Amino acid sequence: MSARLDLTRYKSLAGLLRNPWPQFLIRILALAGFLFTILAGLLGTPVGSHNFAIIFVWIAWWSALKLIFIPFGGRFWCSFCPIPMPGEWLQRGGLLVRGNRTVGLGLPWPRRLTGAWLQASGFLLVGLFAAVTLTTPRVTAWMLLGFLVLALTMDLIFAPRTFCRRLCPIGGFTGLYAQVSPLEVRVKDPQVCATHSPKTCFLACPWGLYPLTLKSNADCGLCLECLRACPSDNIAINLRQWGADLHPGGRRLLAEAFLGLIMLASALVDAAVFLGPWGWLKVAAYSVGSRSWWAFSGGFLLLALVILPAMFILAVWLSARLAHPQLDLRQTLAHRSQVLVPLGLMAWIAFTISFALTKAGTIPSVLSDPLGWGWNLFGMAGQAGTGQVTLLSLTVQAVVLAVGLAWSCRVARRISASLREALPLAVFAFFFNSTMLWLLAA
Amino acid sequence: MLRKENLARLLLASGLLIALVLPFAGRWLQNSLSPHTIELHARIPEDGGWKPEALQATVDQPLRLRLISDDVAHGFALGQMDRLPVDLLPGEVKEITITFDHPGTYTFYCTRWCGPNHWRMRGVIEVNGPIQRPVSGQSVPLWVRLGLDLDAPHPAAVAPESKPAAKRGMALLAELETDGKIYDQDYYRSHAPAQVWQELRAIPSLKDRSDAQLWDVVAAIWQHNTDARSLAEGQKLYAANCAACHGQQGAGDGVFASKPPPDKKASQGMPTGADNPLKAPADFTDSASMLGASPALLQGKILRGGMGTGMPMWGTIFTQEQTWDLVAYLFSFQFEFNLPEAAR
Amino acid sequence: MNAWTKVLLLALLGLAILRLPLPIPAAVPQQRLIRIQSSRYAFSPGEIHANTGDTLTIELVSNDVAHSLSLDGTDFSLSAEPGQVAVGTFVAAKPGVYRFRCTIPCGNLHPFMLGILRVGPDLFFLRGLALLLLALIVGLWRSPTKSAPPTRTAKSSITVLAV
Repeated sequence: MSARLDLTRYKSLAGLLRNPWPQFLIRILALAGFLFTILAGLLGTPVGSHNFAIIFVWIAWWSALKLIFIPFGGRFWCSFCPIPMPGEWLQRGGLLVRGNRTVGLGLPWPRRLTGAWLQASGFLLVGLFAAVTLTTPRVTAWMLLGFLVLALTMDLIFAPRTFCRRLCPIGGFTGLYAQVSPLEVRVKDPQVCATHSPKTCFLACPWGLYPLTLKSNADCGLCLECLRACPSDNIAINLRQWGADLHPGGRRLLAEAFLGLIMLASALVDAAVFLGPWGWLKVAAYSVGSRSWWAFSGGFLLLALVILPAMFILAVWLSARLAHPQLDLRQTLAHRSQVLVPLGLMAWIAFTISFALTKAGTIPSVLSDPLGWGWNLFGMAGQAGTGQVTLLSLTVQAVVLAVGLAWSCRVARRISASLREALPLAVFAFFFNSTMLWLLAA
Repeated sequence: MLRKENLARLLLASGLLIALVLPFAGRWLQNSLSPHTIELHARIPEDGGWKPEALQATVDQPLRLRLISDDVAHGFALGQMDRLPVDLLPGEVKEITITFDHPGTYTFYCTRWCGPNHWRMRGVIEVNGPIQRPVSGQSVPLWVRLGLDLDAPHPAAVAPESKPAAKRGMALLAELETDGKIYDQDYYRSHAPAQVWQELRAIPSLKDRSDAQLWDVVAAIWQHNTDARSLAEGQKLYAANCAACHGQQGAGDGVFASKPPPDKKASQGMPTGADNPLKAPADFTDSASMLGASPALLQGKILRGGMGTGMPMWGTIFTQEQTWDLVAYLFSFQFEFNLPEAAR
Repeated sequence: MNAWTKVLLLALLGLAILRLPLPIPAAVPQQRLIRIQSSRYAFSPGEIHANTGDTLTIELVSNDVAHSLSLDGTDFSLSAEPGQVAVGTFVAAKPGVYRFRCTIPCGNLHPFMLGILRVGPDLFFLRGLALLLLALIVGLWRSPTKSAPPTRTAKSSITVLAV
């Protein structure tokens, strides 16, 4: 059993986490920044590289998400994401604490629509328009505004955080990869919960989770409302080894396999479109509505829905056949999809290093002139150079991919009974990472 | 509890208010720091070109412009004014001030190629004011005074077999001039090379000179009426404005030579369509055509443009001197000049 | 040996795979003239191959707006507009994979207008593959003393797969 370090043991830290003010102030900052981003996208210069909306969403926030928030904090971003805030506050009837007049119908989400299918499809859909969205400030702004309105609407009809749990494309993969993060919220002593009623933690959780039964990080948004609500100080914020949620036990859903594969396919296509030398591919991805765009979308969907899943299913089938006794394919498919989690996370980290980190130099200049109107707030406007790909960044990407492969193989080994079973999965992972390496570095 | 909640609401409202107001407040501050500044946006012509396209100004009052490019690299320059063009890279905002001495209509145009319709990217500045001194009038162009038909084909009745060299014809030209023949600027501008050659051929004393030798004299005459500085200036103008369609080697094979016909919307009201099918850009290396054109004819085409074809009118952009420099350079595709900067 | 020694050895091995110079027979350096067309948003050809030590003369032609070609990691840069071809020469002294990109903003996809110059054999990719192979072996390696991880002891139901 891997060790856990309970952070709430440290009184000052626990105090800080329980206090609603720090989180609230960060949330104000995030929401205000979000609003400003939308305005910048709508009113500011149409030149993407000089607009706050593009740089801050797709360079700054995306880098922070992929390189810091997810690997180290799991769904930490969700705790101060501005998109569901208005809905959550309205539902709760108060900004800091639950109020008396709550707003919202609170309908249950249809059972047939549960699972990560919608989120995975949402991510795929956004990916088809990625070339335009990531480079056009207006489109980014409208997309963010659309998410804001959608989240608010859903929160008013259903339970809070419905958008986050069921539809948000970011939430889909953040939850998936949060399983390997070193931070978790768990109950300290189950016995205490057994005799405690009412379950204040469950009532407080905006995600609709019951901390006692929390087994994986996939749905916990680290908002710590349960921590604040528990009268017996029985909620722990544990620091743990990476990858602790991936193990042979536990029930896995087929939807997670689907999501994992979508993420892998998207990493390949985004690397090819944005970082490759094939201008025809970029133009095809960019000219939405044209014949070449339809061909591009068709190819993308083919890869994500047919080719890559077929290869994975083949690997899992081999793995299942090589087991003693032989296993059921459907269950094994879901179970073995854990292998895709560290693989996908590291592949996206490598991609983000090349795509976004190299362009971090544009951040100071866009802070000085967020709308591209000729301002110079911090004296650093106009200093953006085009990011260069250096041998160092390529080496780092190769190492990241290697770590991802090793980790993925380790998970494969851990969840399989024998080396024989793990081998097909390892080979799949090897081929995926080799392709990713080729796209990024060759 | 209530007080904390109210404080929270206050903080939230303030934060959101700041975010909402920031763009507008900043804009207001920017405008008050540089008052009376007109914001001029540059976009590729397919997306609108200059916005606004027409500006107003008053004589002796500075016109302040804030230039912003919304897509690709553009440039701003004023026609027929001695001002360095301003490069506009997307996302960089440049503020300039222009003061006009004379009233009139000034043309501003884009100086960096921004697509096949780049040459259409022009606007006007109407400068009002009392007419104090007589404006150095736009004199009637030479081609009008000569009554030339710019659109009629101008084939050369004869053409040399190889490229004539001015150096070789210098000596003979000197002889002719001492004999009293005058090949000055007026003569040069109003005569086509083929015409000049015919006249030379008719001179009795030159009866036993070869055809090629007489062509060399024509080349010498052409060189005689220009200089190194003009050719250099012509080359610069050609590279920046003409080569994209006419080709760097003058063969009418530039990058935009094979582009589809200009669309009606952007055609500036000129007749387009079936009665004026798009012609390929002129081939300056084609002796049969070039040698039948006088400098005045070429200047006329440059000034007036090519009605309905893709040839822009440069009358409001180039000064007279610049057009003659350009014409001189165009003939360097036909003649070998012996001036230092003539080497290409 | 303990875990840290293993990690150290692995790191050294990885470093060796990535950086150890290999004796590759060098091809004879040539003079090459390459004409690159640029348009929004592609270089054509987008991939160039050269031998180590080649002298490359690049002609950059622009087909629509002002573009430039700037080689990452070097000072080499050319700018061209329609009608003005830019020519420049440089010596590809060090083998490797270099990206070149447009540095004059030419539209919204401008930051992604890229091309690749390969000098010499693509060693980096091969090294990367070797590193991945090492990672595969390391990941699948199960030391004999390691026991199967126990399942969580919580009251909720856990279905343990038949293994």
